[in-house]
Amino acid sequence: MGNGWHGKVLRVNLTDKSCTVEPLNMEWAAAFIGGRGLASKYLTSEVDATVDPFSSENKMILATGPLTGTYGAANGRYMVVTKSPLTGTIACSNSGGYFPCELKYAGYDLVIIEGKAESPVYLKIKNGEAELADAGHLWGKTTAETEDAIRAEFHGDAKVACIGPAGESLVRYACIVNDKHRAAGRSGVGAVMGSKNLKAVAVRGTGGVATADNAAFRAAARDTLKMLRQHPVTSEGLPALGTAVLVNIINQSGALPTRNSQCGTFDKAEEISGERLAQTFLKRNKGCMGCVIACGRVTRLADPRFSGAGEGPEYETLWSLGAACGVSDLAAIVHANYLCDEYGMDTITMGSTVACAMELYERGLLGDADTGMPLKFGDADAMVRLVEMTGKGEGFGVRAGLGSYRLAESCGAPELSMSVKKQEFPAYDGRAIQGMGLEYATSNRGACHVRGYLVSPEILGVPEKLDPEAVAGKAVWAKAFQDVTAVVDSAGVCLFTTFGIGIPQVTRLFNAATGFGYSDEQMMEIGDRIYTLERLFNLKAGIDPSQDTLPKRILEEPLPDGPLKGAVSHLPEMLSEYYDVRGWEKGIPTAAKVKSLGLA
Amino acid sequence: MVFLQIYGTLRMMLGGRESVELPCYEGDTVGSLLERFQAEERIAVTHKLIDDRRMLHTGTIILLNRRNILHLDKLETPVRDGDVLALFPPGAGG
Ligand code: SF4
Repeated sequence: MGNGWHGKVLRVNLTDKSCTVEPLNMEWAAAFIGGRGLASKYLTSEVDATVDPFSSENKMILATGPLTGTYGAANGRYMVVTKSPLTGTIACSNSGGYFPCELKYAGYDLVIIEGKAESPVYLKIKNGEAELADAGHLWGKTTAETEDAIRAEFHGDAKVACIGPAGESLVRYACIVNDKHRAAGRSGVGAVMGSKNLKAVAVRGTGGVATADNAAFRAAARDTLKMLRQHPVTSEGLPALGTAVLVNIINQSGALPTRNSQCGTFDKAEEISGERLAQTFLKRNKGCMGCVIACGRVTRLADPRFSGAGEGPEYETLWSLGAACGVSDLAAIVHANYLCDEYGMDTITMGSTVACAMELYERGLLGDADTGMPLKFGDADAMVRLVEMTGKGEGFGVRAGLGSYRLAESCGAPELSMSVKKQEFPAYDGRAIQGMGLEYATSNRGACHVRGYLVSPEILGVPEKLDPEAVAGKAVWAKAFQDVTAVVDSAGVCLFTTFGIGIPQVTRLFNAATGFGYSDEQMMEIGDRIYTLERLFNLKAGIDPSQDTLPKRILEEPLPDGPLKGAVSHLPEMLSEYYDVRGWEKGIPTAAKVKSLGLA
Repeated sequence: MVFLQIYGTLRMMLGGRESVELPCYEGDTVGSLLERFQAEERIAVTHKLIDDRRMLHTGTIILLNRRNILHLDKLETPVRDGDVLALFPPGAGG
């Protein structure tokens, strides 16, 4: 086709074991770009919003964007879109590494997986040819073992995305791990894959991605790369210390949710910081394919108790398995992070669930008879043990595998789950960063930081500094960030580029690749369209606006410490402004809005 | 005395040093403290935080007693004995 998209969809029916190729709906591609947006359009058109996420009626779509696999920014991303078993909302999880580009180079824009296999299978794709293979011998293997085994039997250079034992046993926050250490992490997309008896997708692709106007694309890419190489965040901050540099920044700002969000600062933050990681276990940085930022961390454990090597932990994981649990033992956190990769579990929900279990235990709502061990804040051994038990589906790990909301609810205290729509917060306290509280409440996949990262203006001062305590105007910022993110996720670009570039650069790359002539405003409207489409699916799924809220702790319990001591979230004030800005009446998109976005 | 806490790439430049104490005088500001810091270290450090027009880089975070100076008087913010100044060169994550 020669314009960013290949124009091909691979449809895999696991029930009847068929693999067929169909043309990409180009009208939809023009309206939803690709990746997150386009896959959401297919999913919402083909799947009844009320289906059980684990039923064969649910589908999962692996989606690249028109810029995936091109050079020019950090364009190695793909998305997994499905209905989430954790939240019941639409889920879109995003990953980088090498698998996404390989999938694109194999000739497909989207892979739609439907039905359910009778016994474990994996999908083999090689340059436009696809077939299902038996995976009985892979069932039970960790993600790294699975990848090694598939490469040995299929193709030595194949790129693999797979689930671990947690996905097989339907841990509700199981992820899909690709290239051994990158993950489509959140919302339980790996559990949906497990419910379909699909162990892995292995791809060998050696084609390229053609662009509509090569000279224009080269010029756009050159200018974009120059901006990324010049911006202090993308040229130095992220490459040098990765995301882990945030531990001290967020802690000093009083926004590091500690001991299940009981506090906003952790007195041992320095011990789990990026600076400490750099002095201890960090070996080097590493990038996803073709990325000039290279924010990834290659680490090796050298500790009498633990051994091993891998990637990470990232900031979110240092927090979730660390400060959230009151744990300051860095080696234990690195080890538990490796375990999450091996078993295939989202580290954010895993750590938050351990933290919630610790509070339930300390309050006497869980006892030794439930947990099989003492479970107190600060106990690194207990944290590691519970991660292991969850990954293996042993003992109390089975209950932990439900996520913090279902666990706390079963103990009669759902308010102790630090989550929105049953998905746990990431590493920012909504009392200390007001806009993030709004963002969590309105994110279409439950609490999430990568749907609209207002930490960037509110704390980091990028692109400009906003006051984290202020409420006025945050709704406008939240909508803008959410819409930009939807565009970036749909194009196949890494969100981290937006620290250094903006919509004008993404639009320029997109137009040069596709031959389209969209304005920045049209791209932002596409973002709004995607966000509203996701919202409409959630409403049909029964997720009503009353769920656009935050836990009582964040709304009513004043922060007890730090520079913003005494703060609570002012969500109600921001939320009504947000609905107005979106054109939603009491949280429901108006008929006029739906029509104006072409979603009627 | 003013206590400077050093983070990120600045700490790496200074061989892993986490903090520095500097004397503080009448009329001192965040800007004058940064100049004194550089003079004492005898290597260029302030360019990690500010540009040659004395503007903070996009993404630089300087907290005075845990308050971002961008919400105070920026580099002109007065500094007093016993204050804690945390210095973060531009960094980010998610
Ligand atoms: S910035 Fe980091 S996560 Fe994004 S593509 Fe580059 S290496 Fe991957």
